[in-house]
Amino acid sequence: MNRKALTCLILAAAMFPLYGCPKKKPATPAQDLNVDTTTVQPTPAPAPATEVPEPVAPQVDDQVEDRLLSSDLQVVNDELRRRGFSPDVYFQYDEASLSDETRDRLSRNADLLKGAPQLVLIIEGHADERGTNEYNLALGERRANAAKDYLTSLGVADGRLRTLSYGEERPVCAETEESCWSQNRRAHMVVTGRSNG
Amino acid sequence: MTTRRFAAFALPSLLVAGSALLWAQSPTPQPPPPSATAPSPPSQPSEVTLELTRNQKAKIRLAIPQYAKAGFGAGAAAGTELETTVRRDLDFSGYFDIQGPEQLAGLSLAGDLLTDRDVYRSAGNEVLLAGDLREEDGKVVFEGRLFDLKSGQSILAKRYRGSFATARRIGHTFADEVIRYLTGAAGFALSEIAYVSERGKIKEIWLMDYDGGNPHPLTGHRSTSMSPAWNPAGDGIAYTSFVNGPPGVYLAEVASGKKRPIVASGSLNISPTFAPDGGRIAFSRSVAGNIEIFSSDTGGGNLRRLTQSGAIDTNPAWSPKGGTIAFTSSRAGNPQIYLMDEEGANQRRLTFEGSYNDGASWSPDGSEVAYATRRDGRFQIAVTNVVSQETRVITSGPGENESPTFSPDGRKIAFTSRRTGTKQIYVLDAASGANVRPLTTEGSNDMADWSRPK
Repeated sequence: MNRKALTCLILAAAMFPLYGCPKKKPATPAQDLNVDTTTVQPTPAPAPATEVPEPVAPQVDDQVEDRLLSSDLQVVNDELRRRGFSPDVYFQYDEASLSDETRDRLSRNADLLKGAPQLVLIIEGHADERGTNEYNLALGERRANAAKDYLTSLGVADGRLRTLSYGEERPVCAETEESCWSQNRRAHMVVTGRSNG
Repeated sequence: MTTRRFAAFALPSLLVAGSALLWAQSPTPQPPPPSATAPSPPSQPSEVTLELTRNQKAKIRLAIPQYAKAGFGAGAAAGTELETTVRRDLDFSGYFDIQGPEQLAGLSLAGDLLTDRDVYRSAGNEVLLAGDLREEDGKVVFEGRLFDLKSGQSILAKRYRGSFATARRIGHTFADEVIRYLTGAAGFALSEIAYVSERGKIKEIWLMDYDGGNPHPLTGHRSTSMSPAWNPAGDGIAYTSFVNGPPGVYLAEVASGKKRPIVASGSLNISPTFAPDGGRIAFSRSVAGNIEIFSSDTGGGNLRRLTQSGAIDTNPAWSPKGGTIAFTSSRAGNPQIYLMDEEGANQRRLTFEGSYNDGASWSPDGSEVAYATRRDGRFQIAVTNVVSQETRVITSGPGENESPTFSPDGRKIAFTSRRTGTKQIYVLDAASGANVRPLTTEGSNDMADWSRPK
């Protein structure tokens, strides 16, 4: 992608998410083929044939996802972890309820977060690959919210925590076995920035 | 028993043998071919009406000799592709018993239809499909005709011209004409399938012809995009994407490729489905961590909440005739398919067998719902009649079969299976589960949605 297109993309993303940039070439809309076609005249005179239009490729030069975490934030996350923060808590199959062990870990996380009230977090909800992608997105949302609700019940301000379900789309382990699935059924907590308040 | 009827038009007896003009020449122009469902009475006095009385399951026996070809240079491959496409479409439709050039090779043909039709008939054929292909000025020109072998008369004639790149499209168009003429049913060779293709950890929305040909991406978000859903007009596709962070519902115009958000506020909006008038969508949305089904207009306005349970309610599918929405709910402890009125009233459970049922997809006539069901620890495709609740499971064995979608005529179902190790899209007969064919092979492919009947 050239610089101009990139600049446009960044501006467009900031101001009008997804409304896109000028294309290099204007795309002509594809025309429907008229299937009520001309009858063949069996006389020697050639019959006018139905012209079949060229296929037109749609524009796929879309706004793209940017999911890099800055190195500053990486340092903050590493430091929290060093102090005993659990970035992941795990769930039973098709469940979004919290085990006693998970509550203990979240409780420790809540203490650390209350000691650093400027940090804001995202809580990702994940599922293992079993079941359908769409249902697992819903399940991941429930898991992320179960973790969030417990943290807020322990005094972490609600406004500091956002949830984001990835369902089965971002597995940490790719084998088809329980030892791997159990690692994927998780809520993953990441510091994403600093609040202004 | 059913009665098929088609009109046949008399041709004068002057027949010219030869490869370029394989069949009849008429001193007077032919009347236009009859329309699809109701053949119009032809104006010529020499009309012959033929009635085929047959078993419902009996197929039309169709002979397709090698097409006559002339002038081919650079377009030779396009010509072959066109010929192959017509044959494959007709074969795949399930309406025909076809004898192609290989089966017809043993017949002694004179090259004169008047003489040869008895030879074709003696080999069991009822109808002859004759094709004439030419390359002219860098374009492919195709004339396709049907002859009733009993009367020897031409019953359908069509002529098309286009660039080499349109060869498949011409083939699909003619195949649909043949099906429509001989069976009265609308063909679906021009239908398309939207799906998700995963290549290098990125999932984009792709489109392909109904037979797996011509695959091409519709989105370029370099993110995770999924759950494509055609609008009834066939010019737009709603889908779920993570492109802006939280999963939201977006709309892509098929012709231009333009994208815009429909509903992207909040932490989760997923799994869109269109109402039959195209004016509203239903989708699932997180309300403080609880997933509920909502509807909105296609601009995201006039949001209405349709479910109120404390469990997961997701994956709505709007019935093709309107009035009903099928969806998945875990309110009974595990995911099951439910139905409700499109305003949310009258919620009732549809599936009771299997511990995990999800991904409802309606048959075009609204009588059945297909979905993924877990049986004995494996996912299979099941179809349930929404009135009788009678259920049939149409896949078996390993492979994690899921994400079914009906063809526009309701006779086929495309679905995802991992039977070869990666997720790929296959198609089979909706009634029996027979005739399984792969549609995709490259990358990992999932979540097919077949375009609606035109």
